[in-house]
Amino acid sequence: MSFLKRFAENRGALLGLVILAAIVFVALAAPVLSPTDPWATQGRPLLPPGSDFVLGTDMLGRDVLAGIIHGARISLWIGVLSTVVAVVIGVSIGALAGFFGGWVDDVLVRVVEFFQTIPSFIFAILLVAILTPGLTSIVVAIAVVTWPPIARLARSEFMSLRSREFVEAAVLSGVSRGRIMLAEVLPNAVSPLIVMGSLMIATAILTESALSFLGLGDPNRISWGYMIGAARTVFRQAWWLSVFPGLAIVLTVLAINLVGEGLNDALNPHLKGRIGLER
Amino acid sequence: MRPQRTINRWATGLAAAAVALAVSGAAAQAEPQRGGTLNSTLWPEPPGIVIGINLNAPTLLPSTKIFEGLLTYDFQLNPQPMLAESWEVSEDGLTYTFNLRDDVTWHDGEPFTSQDVVYTLTEFIPEVHARSRPTFARAKVEAPDDHTVVLTLEEPYGPLIRSFDAIGAPIVPEHVYAGSDIRENPVNRSPIGTGPFKFSEWKSGEYIHLVRNDDYYLDGRPYLDEIYYRFIPDSASRALALETGQVQLATQNDIELVDLGRLEAMPHLEVTTKGWEWGAPISWLEMNHRREPFGDVRFRKAVMYALDHAFIRDNIFFGYAKVPTGPIHSSSPFYTDDVVTYEHDPDKARALLDEMGLTPDGDGVRAEIGLLGLPYGELWDRLSQYIKQALGEVGVEVTLEASDVAGWGSRIANWDVDMSTTYLTTLSDPALGVARSYITDNQKKGVLFTNTAGYSNPEVDRLFAEAASEPNHEKRLEMYHEVQKIIADEVALAWLAELQWPTVHDAKLKNVVRNGLGPNDNFAEAYFEQ
Amino acid sequence: MRQLGFLVGWLVKALVVVLAITILNFLLIRLAPGDPAIVMAGEAGAADERFLAQIRSDFGLDRPLLVQLGIYLKNVLTLDLGQSYRNQRAVVDMLFERLPATLLLTGSAYLFALVFGPLLGAIAAMKARTVYDSALMVVALFFYATPIFWVGLLLILVFSVQLGWLPPFGMQSLIPVEGTLARTLDILRHLILPAVTLGLFYVAVYVRLTRASMLETATLDYVKTARAKGLPEWRVATAHILRTALLPIITFAGLQAGHLVGGAIVVETVFAWPGIGRLAFDALFQRDYNLLLGVFLLSALMVVFFNMVTDILLRVADPRIGSRA
Repeated sequence: MSFLKRFAENRGALLGLVILAAIVFVALAAPVLSPTDPWATQGRPLLPPGSDFVLGTDMLGRDVLAGIIHGARISLWIGVLSTVVAVVIGVSIGALAGFFGGWVDDVLVRVVEFFQTIPSFIFAILLVAILTPGLTSIVVAIAVVTWPPIARLARSEFMSLRSREFVEAAVLSGVSRGRIMLAEVLPNAVSPLIVMGSLMIATAILTESALSFLGLGDPNRISWGYMIGAARTVFRQAWWLSVFPGLAIVLTVLAINLVGEGLNDALNPHLKGRIGLER
Repeated sequence: MRPQRTINRWATGLAAAAVALAVSGAAAQAEPQRGGTLNSTLWPEPPGIVIGINLNAPTLLPSTKIFEGLLTYDFQLNPQPMLAESWEVSEDGLTYTFNLRDDVTWHDGEPFTSQDVVYTLTEFIPEVHARSRPTFARAKVEAPDDHTVVLTLEEPYGPLIRSFDAIGAPIVPEHVYAGSDIRENPVNRSPIGTGPFKFSEWKSGEYIHLVRNDDYYLDGRPYLDEIYYRFIPDSASRALALETGQVQLATQNDIELVDLGRLEAMPHLEVTTKGWEWGAPISWLEMNHRREPFGDVRFRKAVMYALDHAFIRDNIFFGYAKVPTGPIHSSSPFYTDDVVTYEHDPDKARALLDEMGLTPDGDGVRAEIGLLGLPYGELWDRLSQYIKQALGEVGVEVTLEASDVAGWGSRIANWDVDMSTTYLTTLSDPALGVARSYITDNQKKGVLFTNTAGYSNPEVDRLFAEAASEPNHEKRLEMYHEVQKIIADEVALAWLAELQWPTVHDAKLKNVVRNGLGPNDNFAEAYFEQ
Repeated sequence: MRQLGFLVGWLVKALVVVLAITILNFLLIRLAPGDPAIVMAGEAGAADERFLAQIRSDFGLDRPLLVQLGIYLKNVLTLDLGQSYRNQRAVVDMLFERLPATLLLTGSAYLFALVFGPLLGAIAAMKARTVYDSALMVVALFFYATPIFWVGLLLILVFSVQLGWLPPFGMQSLIPVEGTLARTLDILRHLILPAVTLGLFYVAVYVRLTRASMLETATLDYVKTARAKGLPEWRVATAHILRTALLPIITFAGLQAGHLVGGAIVVETVFAWPGIGRLAFDALFQRDYNLLLGVFLLSALMVVFFNMVTDILLRVADPRIGSRA
């Protein structure tokens, strides 16, 4: 109860939750809200907003609104999926390092440091290009460049929990290490990880949009970043092609950040906005 | 008149006089004026500026002002004099005799002689010029005197007479290159030619600067004092530079087609699509005949019927394209429109697919195929998206495959693809630029721009082979017309558009596009109206 | 003596990291599908095997992978990063040619962010839970949530297309103006939009970071003591809170400095800025291996270098860190 209450006290977080819920609804209901293929020509090319098309049409006469509705799916999907992958990688490595310490910790910390040294956005671009642009390669690329902070957080949580009495007791009573990590330690470390993960979704959406903007998106799925990138050559004549998808990105990322901060305040007041700052 | 023809200085002089008369009758043509600096866009920055060592499009534009060929070609691709003032082809089509100008000097002051031509055709081109190497490998080249060159063939070769332009056979100085490693010769960074402009400076990342050749062999020419080829990496900035008058010339892919309407409406700019006749680029959808269902001609026909070529022309290429009818570009003298054509007719497409047994499943899908689009930017992405949508309408579900240029090239060259989009110049003669995409023994795995589709028809092979070595022009015409009929009927490739590369120039800049080489002409005649 | 040991340790570490990055990138790029020789030959209009073979041997593409790696590593040690396939020029030359443009852009953006970010963050913290604070935080959150490329496009729309105040593309006028002063001003005019675009995101980051850090510090005991002693609030804020609160800012600023080149890719693409980021992007699409490796190596070196600078700065700002290590 106290968690919900604390979360609800944060008006920003509530607002974010409402916006986010609306976006998730749009994404889920896209086939109903906009039944036609977003790639299909619907009217004359480059119609300004207002006319028959609320947000106008693009260079091939495709409905911008339909693109934005269907784009919500891909943005959220990639955001969530890549974060899940990053959290799995990060928590596994961080947990091993923090729980076992010693040389295991030394080696894994070196690995994490090494990955933090690689210029992350260039690395993501390279990965997507090598794996050929597509949903999978984008998810993999974003996950590979974003897991290190998660690993660091997981490591410190596991490290401090490792020395707690209930863990020591479990070790002494002969419970297997894997079981202890999963059943005893992880549940106690989960709340900061949830906060960081939620903020990482926002960062992942931004990264996906930047990749798509540069032409490295999945060519079969319409996405907001792609829409902006494709409209670049005409953005002086047809501002609506860039402005609306951009607003969609801002709104989504904003909402997720607000919710993430609300979660942070509600779950662990001691963490205060220290995380999720790297992009 | 065609196979055996002699043109000398007087004859062309007369022709020129006739043209001048006709023009002066219509309007008082202003005298060309000396002076002025031409700023042109050039993108991307070329890797080098010696034609042959490099053959990329951006190399050609500055390089054709420095180097010249024996001949040049008019809009109909008829040969015109350049370094050769006259020439003669023997009746049997086996002997070509060129009479060279005797008043030409190299930019370093040395005289130009037949030895330079022999060196170029027998040493330089075979060593570096990969495109022309096979053409000149057919000929024995001799120089009976300082200003005569004779080429002797084993068997007639139709395209030869259209192979002497500055791009196909740029004449280079023997005294500079002989005995050196041609590719490593330091002169390549500051080349020496015979053209109306001399190399002055190459400022990396900024421009290539050419200056007037004061010793040029044509009196009073060139008219321009200097040319700057400026590297501007962004198409929007290039358009802006034209608008504001900072540059006076842009061509080929330099300007996004979507910007052209705006530029064309500006009073100080002119747009022409002439001048790319030698290149004659055609874009097509290539289907891999080795894979099903593309091996079935009915499927390929269905694809042609499913595509709305007028939509492609108007909405993808913004009108800067023509609907192609087959393998040969409509500006070619060998073109015929007397072939099967494919109007946009989705019902016909569906009927053909039904006939093949490709009936729709529960989701209305008849077949699933991949499309690897040319990764040359947003226009080509839109083309792929249109194809996906148009084929989807007749039940062929297309998955777009993304790639960078290297991946695209490798996959097509290694036949590892369902369908792909591309464009290719079809060049001055079908034997040079067209046959390569259709003849069976040019299926060379691992080599791009060969017959990568895998089309094969012995009759087509025979016609292309005979037409290449047929000395009689009328007979060549007949054979190429026949070839076009067969290939169009069998939809060897799904042709999408004849590209009309625009040349945008300042209205005051005259004589920019005056022959089939267009912006790749040497610009000796270009001038600014004051 | 300890300082020296620290430096040597750092250098060894840096060297290992650079070596590892070089190997990783080399392998990744070589394992990618796509043969640059085919495209080079194709674009040269030269469809024959002989030309292909020649290109491959010119650039060593026909050697075994390990041999190529060995040659590359040996050359890297002598600062020879090879030739760019596409441009037929030395990679080192191309990098150094583009580096000033990128340093100018990222440096300006960085400076812009480091001046305004902590400043506005401190104001927000001192006015915490007032309307100023809320307004600042909303704006900061907005820019924090906005894709950089979109900000760039909007700024161009407003300041170049609509108002016509600032040039939308490039680093200088096409036909360069005469005179050093005029030329400098010309470049500055071109610099404003891209630098602000790149900087705004980081301003937002620093505002949030500074505010959070200051509020946290404000609850610490010695600050409470200072307050209790009756020091004026601004003295408390500047002398006590800000100094401590600076540590996370320095840490973040240092970590982020090395990553600026990556962030610059998008901005350089939007504004046609002739820097390293754009070079990297072009090289990627042309599979210009040597050039790409050069860009990666350079960016990684910058990260390693700035990490070291950060460490040193932190030691200066907070001597406790040195003794902990």
